[in-house]
Amino acid sequence: MKLSGLRNLRPPKLGILSGMRVTFTTMLRTWAFNLSGGKVGLRSTVNYPKIKEMPVPRARGVIALEQDACTVCMLCARSCPDWCIYIEGHKEIKPPSRPGGRPRARATLDRFDIDYALCMYCGICVEVCPFDALFWTPEYEYSEYDMGPMMHDMDRLQDWMKTVPEGLGAQS
Amino acid sequence: MLAHHLSEAAVSVELETEGMTLNIGPQHPSTHGVLRLVATIDGERATDVRPVIGYMHRGYEKLAEVRTYPQITTIVNRIDWVSGFANEVPFIVAAERLMGVEAPPRAQWIRLVLTEMARISSHLVFMASYPLELGAATPLFFALRERERVLDLLESVTGGRFHPNFNRIGGVKPVYAAGPVTKKAGMDIPAAFLAETRDAMDKVESTCEEIENLVAGNEVFLARTKGVGVIPVEKAASYGVSGPNLRASGCGFDLRKTSDYLPYDGFDFDIPTGENGDCWDRWWVRLEEIRQSARIIRQAIDGIPSGPLQAKVPRIIKVPAGETYVRAENPKGEMGYHLVSLGGLGPYRLKIRSASFSNLSILPWILQGALVPDFIAIMGSIDFVLGDVDR
Repeated sequence: MKLSGLRNLRPPKLGILSGMRVTFTTMLRTWAFNLSGGKVGLRSTVNYPKIKEMPVPRARGVIALEQDACTVCMLCARSCPDWCIYIEGHKEIKPPSRPGGRPRARATLDRFDIDYALCMYCGICVEVCPFDALFWTPEYEYSEYDMGPMMHDMDRLQDWMKTVPEGLGAQS
Repeated sequence: MLAHHLSEAAVSVELETEGMTLNIGPQHPSTHGVLRLVATIDGERATDVRPVIGYMHRGYEKLAEVRTYPQITTIVNRIDWVSGFANEVPFIVAAERLMGVEAPPRAQWIRLVLTEMARISSHLVFMASYPLELGAATPLFFALRERERVLDLLESVTGGRFHPNFNRIGGVKPVYAAGPVTKKAGMDIPAAFLAETRDAMDKVESTCEEIENLVAGNEVFLARTKGVGVIPVEKAASYGVSGPNLRASGCGFDLRKTSDYLPYDGFDFDIPTGENGDCWDRWWVRLEEIRQSARIIRQAIDGIPSGPLQAKVPRIIKVPAGETYVRAENPKGEMGYHLVSLGGLGPYRLKIRSASFSNLSILPWILQGALVPDFIAIMGSIDFVLGDVDR
Protein backbone atom coordinates (compact mmCIF):
# COMPACT_ATOMS: atom_id res chain seq x y z
CA MET A 1 0.00 0.00 0.00
CA LYS A 2 1.26 3.42 -0.88
CA LEU A 3 1.71 5.70 2.10
CA SER A 4 0.06 8.57 0.27
CA GLY A 5 -3.06 6.44 0.18
CA LEU A 6 -3.39 6.76 3.92
CA ARG A 7 -3.54 10.51 3.65
CA ASN A 8 -6.60 10.22 1.43
CA LEU A 9 -8.57 8.55 4.18
CA ARG A 10 -10.88 11.13 5.67
CA PRO A 11 -12.81 10.84 8.90
CA PRO A 12 -16.37 9.53 8.43
CA LYS A 13 -18.87 12.22 7.67
CA LEU A 14 -22.61 12.58 7.94
CA GLY A 15 -23.21 9.87 5.37
CA ILE A 16 -22.45 7.14 7.84
CA LEU A 17 -24.54 8.85 10.51
CA SER A 18 -27.64 8.91 8.30
CA GLY A 19 -27.11 5.21 7.66
CA MET A 20 -26.88 4.58 11.37
CA ARG A 21 -30.12 6.48 11.88
CA VAL A 22 -31.98 4.11 9.53
CA THR A 23 -30.56 1.08 11.30
CA PHE A 24 -31.34 2.50 14.72
CA THR A 25 -34.97 3.41 13.99
CA THR A 26 -35.54 -0.04 12.54
CA MET A 27 -34.08 -1.60 15.67
CA LEU A 28 -36.37 0.52 17.87
CA ARG A 29 -39.39 -0.43 15.80
CA THR A 30 -38.59 -4.11 16.14
CA TRP A 31 -38.08 -3.79 19.88
CA ALA A 32 -41.35 -1.93 20.19
CA PHE A 33 -43.07 -4.73 18.32
CA ASN A 34 -41.60 -7.43 20.52
CA LEU A 35 -42.22 -5.61 23.81
CA SER A 36 -45.77 -4.55 22.99
CA GLY A 37 -46.72 -7.96 21.66
CA GLY A 38 -47.29 -6.67 18.15
CA LYS A 39 -49.43 -3.62 18.93
CA VAL A 40 -46.95 -0.99 17.76
CA GLY A 41 -43.84 -1.12 15.67
CA LEU A 42 -42.93 -3.46 12.89
CA ARG A 43 -41.40 -6.84 12.48
CA SER A 44 -40.81 -8.38 9.09
CA THR A 45 -40.11 -12.01 9.93
CA VAL A 46 -41.86 -14.84 11.72
CA ASN A 47 -40.34 -17.55 13.89
CA TYR A 48 -40.85 -20.19 11.23
CA PRO A 49 -41.29 -23.67 12.62
CA LYS A 50 -43.40 -22.32 15.48
CA ILE A 51 -45.37 -19.74 13.49
CA LYS A 52 -46.30 -20.49 9.92
CA GLU A 53 -47.12 -18.00 7.23
CA MET A 54 -49.70 -19.30 4.80
CA PRO A 55 -48.91 -18.61 1.16
CA VAL A 56 -51.51 -16.89 -1.00
CA PRO A 57 -54.38 -19.17 -2.10
CA ARG A 58 -53.15 -19.24 -5.68
CA ALA A 59 -49.67 -20.37 -4.69
CA ARG A 60 -48.48 -23.38 -6.62
CA GLY A 61 -47.30 -25.54 -3.75
CA VAL A 62 -48.21 -29.11 -4.55
CA ILE A 63 -50.62 -30.85 -6.92
CA ALA A 64 -53.58 -32.78 -5.56
CA LEU A 65 -55.34 -35.59 -7.44
CA GLU A 66 -59.01 -36.48 -7.30
CA GLN A 67 -58.74 -40.17 -8.20
CA ASP A 68 -62.41 -40.71 -9.00
CA ALA A 69 -62.46 -37.92 -11.55
CA CYS A 70 -59.45 -39.19 -13.48
CA THR A 71 -60.23 -41.05 -16.68
CA VAL A 72 -56.63 -42.03 -17.53
CA CYS A 73 -56.67 -39.86 -20.64
CA MET A 74 -52.95 -39.11 -20.23
CA LEU A 75 -53.32 -35.49 -21.34
CA CYS A 76 -51.43 -34.27 -18.27
CA ALA A 77 -48.60 -36.75 -18.72
CA ARG A 78 -48.23 -35.82 -22.39
CA SER A 79 -48.27 -32.07 -21.86
CA CYS A 80 -45.78 -32.09 -18.99
CA PRO A 81 -42.62 -30.26 -20.12
CA ASP A 82 -40.32 -32.69 -18.35
CA TRP A 83 -42.50 -35.77 -18.33
CA CYS A 84 -42.57 -36.30 -14.58
CA ILE A 85 -46.09 -37.79 -14.41
CA TYR A 86 -46.32 -41.56 -14.61
CA ILE A 87 -49.75 -43.02 -15.31
CA GLU A 88 -50.86 -46.61 -15.74
CA GLY A 89 -54.40 -47.82 -15.97
CA HIS A 90 -56.63 -50.63 -17.18
CA LYS A 91 -60.14 -51.01 -18.50
CA GLU A 92 -62.72 -52.41 -16.11
CA ILE A 93 -66.11 -53.68 -17.16
CA LYS A 94 -68.70 -52.00 -15.00
CA PRO A 95 -72.17 -53.49 -14.60
CA PRO A 96 -74.90 -51.59 -16.45
CA SER A 97 -76.12 -48.52 -14.60
CA ARG A 98 -79.78 -49.35 -15.21
CA PRO A 99 -81.44 -52.72 -15.82
CA GLY A 100 -81.43 -53.71 -19.44
CA GLY A 101 -78.41 -51.55 -20.28
CA ARG A 102 -75.17 -52.96 -21.44
CA PRO A 103 -72.00 -53.14 -19.33
CA ARG A 104 -69.63 -50.22 -19.80
CA ALA A 105 -65.88 -50.26 -19.95
CA ARG A 106 -64.36 -47.71 -17.63
CA ALA A 107 -60.70 -46.80 -17.38
CA THR A 108 -59.31 -47.23 -13.87
CA LEU A 109 -56.12 -45.83 -12.44
CA ASP A 110 -53.45 -48.27 -11.37
CA ARG A 111 -50.69 -45.79 -10.92
CA PHE A 112 -50.53 -42.02 -10.87
CA ASP A 113 -47.16 -40.78 -9.67
CA ILE A 114 -45.75 -37.28 -9.79
CA ASP A 115 -42.03 -36.99 -9.32
CA TYR A 116 -41.65 -33.72 -7.44
CA ALA A 117 -37.89 -33.99 -7.73
CA LEU A 118 -38.39 -33.37 -11.46
CA CYS A 119 -41.53 -31.23 -11.43
CA MET A 120 -41.07 -27.63 -12.58
CA TYR A 121 -44.32 -26.45 -10.95
CA CYS A 122 -45.54 -24.92 -14.19
CA GLY A 123 -49.13 -26.09 -13.76
CA ILE A 124 -49.70 -27.16 -17.36
CA CYS A 125 -51.04 -30.54 -16.19
CA VAL A 126 -53.63 -28.85 -13.97
CA GLU A 127 -54.53 -26.52 -16.78
CA VAL A 128 -55.15 -29.17 -19.46
CA CYS A 129 -57.10 -31.60 -17.29
CA PRO A 130 -60.59 -31.73 -18.84
CA PHE A 131 -62.18 -33.69 -15.99
CA ASP A 132 -61.28 -31.61 -12.89
CA ALA A 133 -58.98 -34.24 -11.46
CA LEU A 134 -55.90 -32.11 -10.70
CA PHE A 135 -55.73 -29.09 -8.40
CA TRP A 136 -53.09 -26.84 -6.94
CA THR A 137 -52.77 -26.43 -3.22
CA PRO A 138 -50.54 -23.89 -1.44
CA GLU A 139 -49.13 -26.57 0.87
CA TYR A 140 -45.34 -26.55 0.85
CA GLU A 141 -44.04 -28.72 3.69
CA TYR A 142 -43.07 -31.96 2.01
CA SER A 143 -39.31 -31.75 1.64
CA GLU A 144 -37.33 -34.97 2.04
CA TYR A 145 -33.80 -36.06 2.72
CA ASP A 146 -33.81 -38.42 -0.26
CA MET A 147 -34.94 -38.22 -3.85
CA GLY A 148 -37.04 -41.38 -3.62
CA PRO A 149 -39.87 -40.11 -1.38
CA MET A 150 -40.27 -37.08 -3.62
CA MET A 151 -42.23 -39.42 -5.89
CA HIS A 152 -45.78 -39.02 -4.62
CA ASP A 153 -48.11 -41.90 -5.43
CA MET A 154 -51.83 -41.58 -6.12
CA ASP A 155 -52.90 -42.05 -2.50
CA ARG A 156 -50.57 -39.34 -1.28
CA LEU A 157 -51.77 -37.05 -4.07
CA GLN A 158 -55.35 -37.81 -3.04
CA ASP A 159 -54.48 -36.75 0.52
CA TRP A 160 -53.49 -33.31 -0.73
CA MET A 161 -57.11 -32.78 -1.83
CA LYS A 162 -57.91 -31.79 1.77
CA THR A 163 -55.74 -28.71 1.38
CA VAL A 164 -57.22 -27.34 -1.86
CA PRO A 165 -58.35 -23.79 -1.01
CA GLU A 166 -61.93 -22.62 -1.09
CA GLY A 167 -63.01 -21.57 -4.57
CA LEU A 168 -59.69 -22.92 -5.88
CA GLY A 169 -58.07 -19.64 -4.89
CA ALA A 170 -58.81 -18.38 -8.37
CA GLN A 171 -60.94 -15.47 -7.24
CA SER A 172 -59.08 -14.19 -4.21
CA MET B 1 24.41 2.49 5.80
CA LEU B 2 20.68 2.17 6.23
CA ALA B 3 19.94 4.54 3.36
CA HIS B 4 22.11 2.45 1.11
CA HIS B 5 20.05 -0.56 2.06
CA LEU B 6 16.72 1.06 1.26
CA SER B 7 17.77 2.21 -2.17
CA GLU B 8 18.82 -1.33 -2.95
CA ALA B 9 15.37 -2.52 -1.92
CA ALA B 10 13.77 0.06 -4.18
CA VAL B 11 15.76 -1.25 -7.11
CA SER B 12 14.64 -4.81 -6.53
CA VAL B 13 10.98 -3.74 -6.64
CA GLU B 14 11.48 -2.48 -10.17
CA LEU B 15 12.53 -5.95 -11.31
CA GLU B 16 10.38 -7.79 -13.76
CA THR B 17 8.24 -10.26 -11.85
CA GLU B 18 6.52 -13.26 -13.26
CA GLY B 19 2.74 -13.03 -13.56
CA MET B 20 0.76 -15.38 -11.39
CA THR B 21 -2.31 -17.17 -12.63
CA LEU B 22 -5.14 -16.98 -10.16
CA ASN B 23 -8.23 -19.08 -10.49
CA ILE B 24 -11.28 -17.38 -9.11
CA GLY B 25 -14.17 -19.74 -8.94
CA PRO B 26 -15.89 -21.72 -10.35
CA GLN B 27 -18.30 -19.83 -8.20
CA HIS B 28 -19.62 -16.37 -7.74
CA PRO B 29 -19.02 -14.74 -4.40
CA SER B 30 -22.69 -14.01 -4.00
CA THR B 31 -24.06 -17.03 -5.84
CA HIS B 32 -25.50 -15.38 -8.89
CA GLY B 33 -24.50 -18.64 -10.48
CA VAL B 34 -21.27 -20.36 -11.30
CA LEU B 35 -18.53 -18.38 -13.00
CA ARG B 36 -14.81 -18.98 -13.18
CA LEU B 37 -12.26 -16.28 -13.82
CA VAL B 38 -8.73 -17.09 -14.87
CA ALA B 39 -6.80 -14.00 -13.90
CA THR B 40 -3.14 -13.35 -14.56
CA ILE B 41 -2.09 -11.01 -11.83
CA ASP B 42 1.04 -9.04 -11.23
CA GLY B 43 1.04 -8.12 -7.59
CA GLU B 44 -2.29 -6.48 -6.94
CA ARG B 45 -3.08 -5.71 -10.56
CA ALA B 46 -4.61 -7.98 -13.13
CA THR B 47 -2.90 -8.06 -16.49
CA ASP B 48 -5.29 -10.45 -18.18
CA VAL B 49 -8.65 -11.82 -17.10
CA ARG B 50 -10.46 -14.57 -18.93
CA PRO B 51 -13.97 -15.52 -17.82
CA VAL B 52 -14.81 -19.18 -18.27
CA ILE B 53 -18.53 -19.62 -18.70
CA GLY B 54 -20.76 -22.56 -19.36
CA TYR B 55 -21.09 -24.09 -15.92
CA MET B 56 -24.76 -23.21 -15.85
CA HIS B 57 -25.46 -24.29 -19.42
CA ARG B 58 -28.78 -26.08 -19.51
CA GLY B 59 -29.27 -26.04 -23.26
CA TYR B 60 -32.52 -24.12 -23.28
CA GLU B 61 -32.29 -23.24 -26.96
CA LYS B 62 -32.06 -26.93 -27.81
CA LEU B 63 -34.67 -27.97 -25.24
CA ALA B 64 -37.09 -25.47 -26.76
CA GLU B 65 -36.85 -27.27 -30.11
CA VAL B 66 -38.40 -30.44 -28.70
CA ARG B 67 -41.20 -28.80 -26.78
CA THR B 68 -44.52 -27.26 -27.68
CA TYR B 69 -45.08 -23.53 -27.42
CA PRO B 70 -47.06 -23.67 -24.16
CA GLN B 71 -44.30 -25.77 -22.59
CA ILE B 72 -41.56 -23.33 -23.53
CA THR B 73 -42.84 -20.58 -21.23
CA THR B 74 -41.81 -22.88 -18.40
CA ILE B 75 -38.28 -22.96 -19.73
CA VAL B 76 -37.84 -19.29 -20.55
CA ASN B 77 -38.91 -18.46 -16.98
CA ARG B 78 -35.67 -19.97 -15.81
CA ILE B 79 -33.22 -18.10 -18.03
CA ASP B 80 -32.86 -15.15 -15.70
CA TRP B 81 -34.48 -16.51 -12.60
CA VAL B 82 -34.33 -13.23 -10.73
CA SER B 83 -36.89 -11.73 -13.10
CA GLY B 84 -38.77 -14.72 -14.45
CA PHE B 85 -41.84 -12.88 -15.59
CA ALA B 86 -39.94 -10.43 -17.77
CA ASN B 87 -38.40 -13.32 -19.73
CA GLU B 88 -41.75 -14.75 -20.72
CA VAL B 89 -43.16 -11.66 -22.35
CA PRO B 90 -40.87 -11.27 -25.40
CA PHE B 91 -41.14 -14.97 -26.24
CA ILE B 92 -44.91 -14.91 -26.06
CA VAL B 93 -45.01 -11.70 -28.12
CA ALA B 94 -42.78 -13.32 -30.75
CA ALA B 95 -45.13 -16.30 -31.06
CA GLU B 96 -48.16 -14.00 -31.13
CA ARG B 97 -46.68 -11.94 -33.93
CA LEU B 98 -46.08 -15.02 -36.06
CA MET B 99 -49.62 -16.19 -35.41
CA GLY B 100 -51.05 -12.77 -36.08
CA VAL B 101 -52.93 -12.53 -32.79
CA GLU B 102 -52.77 -9.70 -30.32
CA ALA B 103 -53.46 -9.93 -26.62
CA PRO B 104 -56.43 -7.89 -25.38
CA PRO B 105 -55.58 -4.58 -23.66
CA ARG B 106 -56.27 -5.82 -20.14
CA ALA B 107 -53.92 -8.78 -20.61
CA GLN B 108 -51.23 -6.46 -21.97
CA TRP B 109 -51.55 -4.15 -18.99
CA ILE B 110 -51.37 -7.04 -16.56
CA ARG B 111 -48.20 -8.12 -18.36
CA LEU B 112 -46.83 -4.62 -18.05
CA VAL B 113 -47.55 -4.34 -14.33
CA LEU B 114 -46.03 -7.74 -13.58
CA THR B 115 -42.99 -7.06 -15.79
CA GLU B 116 -42.30 -3.87 -13.87
CA MET B 117 -42.70 -5.80 -10.63
CA ALA B 118 -40.15 -8.28 -11.90
CA ARG B 119 -37.87 -5.34 -12.64
CA ILE B 120 -38.28 -3.99 -9.14
CA SER B 121 -37.57 -7.35 -7.56
CA SER B 122 -34.53 -7.89 -9.77
CA HIS B 123 -33.09 -4.48 -8.97
CA LEU B 124 -33.81 -5.00 -5.29
CA VAL B 125 -31.70 -8.16 -5.41
CA PHE B 126 -28.93 -5.98 -6.78
CA MET B 127 -29.55 -3.41 -4.04
CA ALA B 128 -29.23 -6.25 -1.55
CA SER B 129 -26.26 -8.11 -2.94
CA TYR B 130 -24.06 -5.31 -4.16
CA PRO B 131 -23.41 -3.57 -0.84
CA LEU B 132 -23.04 -7.04 0.68
CA GLU B 133 -20.29 -7.82 -1.79
CA LEU B 134 -18.57 -4.63 -0.71
CA GLY B 135 -18.94 -5.55 2.95
CA ALA B 136 -22.15 -3.83 4.01
CA ALA B 137 -24.63 -6.41 5.25
CA THR B 138 -27.44 -4.16 6.47
CA PRO B 139 -28.94 -2.96 3.14
CA LEU B 140 -29.53 -6.62 2.27
CA PHE B 141 -32.29 -6.94 4.85
CA PHE B 142 -34.04 -3.76 3.80
CA ALA B 143 -33.95 -4.65 0.12
CA LEU B 144 -34.94 -8.29 0.53
CA ARG B 145 -37.81 -7.36 2.85
CA GLU B 146 -39.20 -5.13 0.13
CA ARG B 147 -38.55 -7.70 -2.58
CA GLU B 148 -40.56 -10.20 -0.58
CA ARG B 149 -43.47 -7.81 -0.60
CA VAL B 150 -43.30 -7.43 -4.38
CA LEU B 151 -42.88 -11.17 -4.92
CA ASP B 152 -45.91 -11.85 -2.72
CA LEU B 153 -47.95 -9.63 -5.01
CA LEU B 154 -46.59 -11.44 -8.06
CA GLU B 155 -47.48 -14.73 -6.39
CA SER B 156 -50.97 -13.59 -5.52
CA VAL B 157 -51.67 -13.05 -9.22
CA THR B 158 -49.70 -15.82 -10.89
CA GLY B 159 -49.24 -18.46 -8.21
CA GLY B 160 -45.47 -18.45 -8.54
CA ARG B 161 -42.86 -16.27 -6.93
CA PHE B 162 -39.94 -16.87 -9.26
CA HIS B 163 -41.44 -18.76 -12.16
CA PRO B 164 -44.87 -17.24 -12.75
CA ASN B 165 -45.71 -19.02 -16.03
CA PHE B 166 -48.74 -16.79 -16.34
CA ASN B 167 -48.44 -15.66 -19.96
CA ARG B 168 -50.28 -17.57 -22.60
CA ILE B 169 -50.19 -17.05 -26.33
CA GLY B 170 -52.98 -14.54 -26.89
CA GLY B 171 -53.11 -13.12 -23.38
CA VAL B 172 -52.61 -14.19 -19.80
CA LYS B 173 -53.89 -17.34 -18.13
CA PRO B 174 -57.66 -16.91 -18.35
CA VAL B 175 -59.09 -19.78 -16.30
CA TYR B 176 -57.98 -22.26 -13.68
CA ALA B 177 -58.25 -25.36 -15.87
CA ALA B 178 -60.23 -26.94 -18.69
CA GLY B 179 -62.68 -29.03 -16.63
CA PRO B 180 -66.41 -28.33 -16.28
CA VAL B 181 -66.04 -26.69 -12.86
CA THR B 182 -62.58 -25.21 -13.17
CA LYS B 183 -63.39 -23.61 -16.53
CA LYS B 184 -65.63 -21.21 -14.62
CA ALA B 185 -62.91 -20.22 -12.16
CA GLY B 186 -61.49 -17.11 -13.81
CA MET B 187 -57.87 -16.24 -13.17
CA ASP B 188 -58.21 -12.48 -13.30
CA ILE B 189 -56.12 -10.44 -10.88
CA PRO B 190 -57.34 -10.86 -7.27
CA ALA B 191 -59.83 -8.35 -5.89
CA ALA B 192 -57.43 -6.79 -3.41
CA PHE B 193 -54.49 -6.66 -5.79
CA LEU B 194 -54.79 -3.08 -6.99
CA ALA B 195 -55.08 -1.60 -3.50
CA GLU B 196 -52.27 -3.78 -2.19
CA THR B 197 -50.05 -2.78 -5.09
CA ARG B 198 -50.62 0.90 -4.46
CA ASP B 199 -49.68 0.35 -0.82
CA ALA B 200 -46.65 -1.73 -1.75
CA MET B 201 -45.37 0.90 -4.18
CA ASP B 202 -45.42 3.48 -1.38
CA LYS B 203 -43.39 1.10 0.74
CA VAL B 204 -40.97 0.36 -2.10
CA GLU B 205 -40.35 4.07 -2.53
CA SER B 206 -39.77 4.63 1.16
CA THR B 207 -37.37 1.69 1.15
CA CYS B 208 -35.52 3.30 -1.76
CA GLU B 209 -35.17 6.30 0.50
CA GLU B 210 -33.87 4.12 3.31
CA ILE B 211 -31.39 2.35 1.06
CA GLU B 212 -30.18 5.68 -0.24
CA ASN B 213 -29.68 6.90 3.32
CA LEU B 214 -27.92 3.70 4.26
CA VAL B 215 -25.59 3.41 1.31
CA ALA B 216 -25.30 6.58 -0.71
CA GLY B 217 -23.60 8.66 1.94
CA ASN B 218 -21.32 5.94 3.18
CA GLU B 219 -17.70 6.96 2.69
CA VAL B 220 -16.46 3.39 2.35
CA PHE B 221 -19.05 2.60 -0.30
CA LEU B 222 -18.26 5.80 -2.19
CA ALA B 223 -14.54 5.14 -2.08
CA ARG B 224 -15.00 1.65 -3.43
CA THR B 225 -17.36 2.56 -6.26
CA LYS B 226 -16.63 6.11 -7.45
CA GLY B 227 -14.31 6.06 -10.41
CA VAL B 228 -13.95 2.28 -10.27
CA GLY B 229 -14.68 0.17 -13.34
CA VAL B 230 -15.41 3.02 -15.72
CA ILE B 231 -17.05 1.91 -18.97
CA PRO B 232 -17.00 4.66 -21.60
CA VAL B 233 -20.16 4.78 -23.64
CA GLU B 234 -18.44 3.83 -26.93
CA LYS B 235 -16.87 0.78 -25.31
CA ALA B 236 -20.22 -0.19 -23.80
CA ALA B 237 -21.92 0.07 -27.17
CA SER B 238 -19.21 -1.87 -28.99
CA TYR B 239 -19.40 -4.73 -26.52
CA GLY B 240 -23.18 -4.85 -26.72
CA VAL B 241 -23.66 -3.83 -23.11
CA SER B 242 -27.28 -2.93 -22.56
CA GLY B 243 -29.77 -2.05 -19.90
CA PRO B 244 -28.81 -0.16 -16.74
CA ASN B 245 -25.10 -0.70 -17.45
CA LEU B 246 -25.38 1.15 -20.75
CA ARG B 247 -27.51 3.89 -19.25
CA ALA B 248 -25.00 4.34 -16.44
CA SER B 249 -22.44 5.19 -19.11
CA GLY B 250 -24.63 8.05 -20.26
CA CYS B 251 -26.58 6.59 -23.17
CA GLY B 252 -30.30 6.96 -22.58
CA PHE B 253 -31.31 3.95 -24.65
CA ASP B 254 -34.33 2.11 -23.34
CA LEU B 255 -36.43 -0.29 -25.40
CA ARG B 256 -39.48 0.61 -23.35
CA LYS B 257 -39.42 3.95 -25.12
CA THR B 258 -38.56 2.72 -28.60
CA SER B 259 -40.17 -0.71 -28.95
CA ASP B 260 -43.79 -1.75 -28.79
CA TYR B 261 -43.75 -5.19 -27.21
CA LEU B 262 -45.81 -3.79 -24.33
CA PRO B 263 -48.01 -0.66 -24.34
CA TYR B 264 -45.47 1.64 -22.68
CA ASP B 265 -46.16 4.59 -24.96
CA GLY B 266 -48.92 6.13 -22.85
CA PHE B 267 -46.82 6.18 -19.70
CA ASP B 268 -44.93 9.02 -18.19
CA PHE B 269 -41.54 7.92 -16.89
CA ASP B 270 -37.93 9.01 -17.11
CA ILE B 271 -34.85 7.14 -18.20
CA PRO B 272 -32.17 7.73 -15.56
CA THR B 273 -28.68 7.99 -17.02
CA GLY B 274 -25.32 8.16 -15.31
CA GLU B 275 -22.42 10.42 -16.15
CA ASN B 276 -19.20 8.52 -15.67
CA GLY B 277 -20.14 4.90 -16.21
CA ASP B 278 -18.47 3.79 -13.01
CA CYS B 279 -19.77 1.35 -10.40
CA TRP B 280 -21.44 4.16 -8.49
CA ASP B 281 -23.45 5.24 -11.53
CA ARG B 282 -24.57 1.69 -12.17
CA TRP B 283 -25.78 1.44 -8.59
CA TRP B 284 -27.51 4.79 -8.78
CA VAL B 285 -29.23 4.11 -12.13
CA ARG B 286 -30.73 0.92 -10.75
CA LEU B 287 -32.00 2.66 -7.63
CA GLU B 288 -33.60 5.34 -9.79
CA GLU B 289 -35.13 2.68 -12.06
CA ILE B 290 -36.91 1.13 -9.09
CA ARG B 291 -38.56 4.48 -8.49
CA GLN B 292 -39.48 4.87 -12.15
CA SER B 293 -40.93 1.36 -12.21
CA ALA B 294 -43.02 2.17 -9.17
CA ARG B 295 -44.21 5.24 -11.05
CA ILE B 296 -45.18 3.15 -14.08
CA ILE B 297 -47.02 0.61 -11.93
CA ARG B 298 -48.98 3.37 -10.20
CA GLN B 299 -50.11 4.80 -13.53
CA ALA B 300 -50.92 1.33 -14.84
CA ILE B 301 -53.13 0.29 -11.95
CA ASP B 302 -54.94 3.59 -12.05
CA GLY B 303 -55.89 3.15 -15.67
CA ILE B 304 -56.08 -0.61 -16.15
CA PRO B 305 -58.72 -1.37 -18.79
CA SER B 306 -61.38 -4.01 -18.26
CA GLY B 307 -62.14 -6.71 -20.75
CA PRO B 308 -61.15 -10.26 -21.61
CA LEU B 309 -57.82 -11.81 -20.63
CA GLN B 310 -57.38 -13.95 -23.69
CA ALA B 311 -57.76 -13.47 -27.41
CA LYS B 312 -59.25 -16.23 -29.52
CA VAL B 313 -56.57 -18.81 -30.23
CA PRO B 314 -56.92 -22.41 -31.39
CA ARG B 315 -56.90 -25.07 -28.69
CA ILE B 316 -53.80 -26.70 -30.09
CA ILE B 317 -51.32 -23.97 -30.83
CA LYS B 318 -49.50 -24.20 -34.12
CA VAL B 319 -47.44 -21.24 -35.21
CA PRO B 320 -47.35 -20.58 -38.97
CA ALA B 321 -44.02 -20.82 -40.76
CA GLY B 322 -41.89 -17.74 -40.56
CA GLU B 323 -39.35 -16.04 -38.38
CA THR B 324 -39.35 -13.02 -36.15
CA TYR B 325 -37.18 -11.26 -33.64
CA VAL B 326 -38.64 -9.56 -30.61
CA ARG B 327 -36.48 -7.55 -28.25
CA ALA B 328 -37.47 -6.32 -24.86
CA GLU B 329 -36.02 -4.25 -22.07
CA ASN B 330 -35.40 -6.72 -19.29
CA PRO B 331 -34.12 -5.73 -15.87
CA LYS B 332 -30.64 -6.89 -16.83
CA GLY B 333 -30.67 -5.37 -20.29
CA GLU B 334 -31.86 -6.20 -23.75
CA MET B 335 -33.44 -9.60 -24.15
CA GLY B 336 -34.34 -10.92 -27.57
CA TYR B 337 -35.88 -14.04 -28.99
CA HIS B 338 -35.30 -15.05 -32.58
CA LEU B 339 -38.08 -17.49 -33.26
CA VAL B 340 -38.03 -19.63 -36.40
CA SER B 341 -41.10 -21.70 -37.05
CA LEU B 342 -41.76 -24.26 -39.75
CA GLY B 343 -45.40 -24.45 -38.83
CA GLY B 344 -45.29 -27.22 -36.25
CA LEU B 345 -46.24 -27.54 -32.62
CA GLY B 346 -42.87 -26.28 -31.49
CA PRO B 347 -40.25 -23.89 -32.86
CA TYR B 348 -37.64 -25.01 -35.36
CA ARG B 349 -35.10 -22.77 -33.69
CA LEU B 350 -35.21 -20.40 -30.76
CA LYS B 351 -32.19 -18.14 -30.47
CA ILE B 352 -32.05 -16.36 -27.15
CA ARG B 353 -30.17 -13.10 -26.89
CA SER B 354 -29.73 -12.69 -23.18
CA ALA B 355 -28.60 -9.48 -21.58
CA SER B 356 -26.12 -10.85 -19.09
CA PHE B 357 -24.09 -12.69 -21.73
CA SER B 358 -23.28 -9.47 -23.58
CA ASN B 359 -22.83 -7.54 -20.36
CA LEU B 360 -20.39 -10.11 -19.06
CA SER B 361 -18.35 -10.04 -22.27
CA ILE B 362 -16.92 -6.68 -21.28
CA LEU B 363 -15.28 -8.21 -18.19
CA PRO B 364 -11.88 -9.00 -19.80
CA TRP B 365 -11.61 -5.41 -21.00
CA ILE B 366 -12.80 -3.74 -17.83
CA LEU B 367 -10.85 -5.94 -15.44
CA GLN B 368 -7.57 -5.49 -17.28
CA GLY B 369 -5.39 -3.39 -15.06
CA ALA B 370 -7.89 -3.44 -12.23
CA LEU B 371 -6.87 -4.08 -8.66
CA VAL B 372 -7.77 -7.52 -7.38
CA PRO B 373 -9.93 -6.13 -4.53
CA ASP B 374 -11.88 -4.15 -7.14
CA PHE B 375 -12.82 -7.32 -9.00
CA ILE B 376 -15.83 -7.91 -6.82
CA ALA B 377 -16.89 -4.28 -6.94
CA ILE B 378 -16.78 -4.27 -10.73
CA MET B 379 -18.31 -7.70 -11.30
CA GLY B 380 -21.07 -7.06 -8.81
CA SER B 381 -21.95 -3.75 -10.42
CA ILE B 382 -22.45 -5.37 -13.83
CA ASP B 383 -25.23 -7.41 -12.18
CA PHE B 384 -25.25 -10.54 -14.25
CA VAL B 385 -27.03 -13.76 -13.50
CA LEU B 386 -25.17 -16.80 -14.71
CA GLY B 387 -28.37 -18.54 -15.74
CA ASP B 388 -28.87 -15.65 -18.11
CA VAL B 389 -25.29 -15.93 -19.38
CA ASP B 390 -25.20 -19.65 -20.09
CA ARG B 391 -28.86 -20.36 -20.71
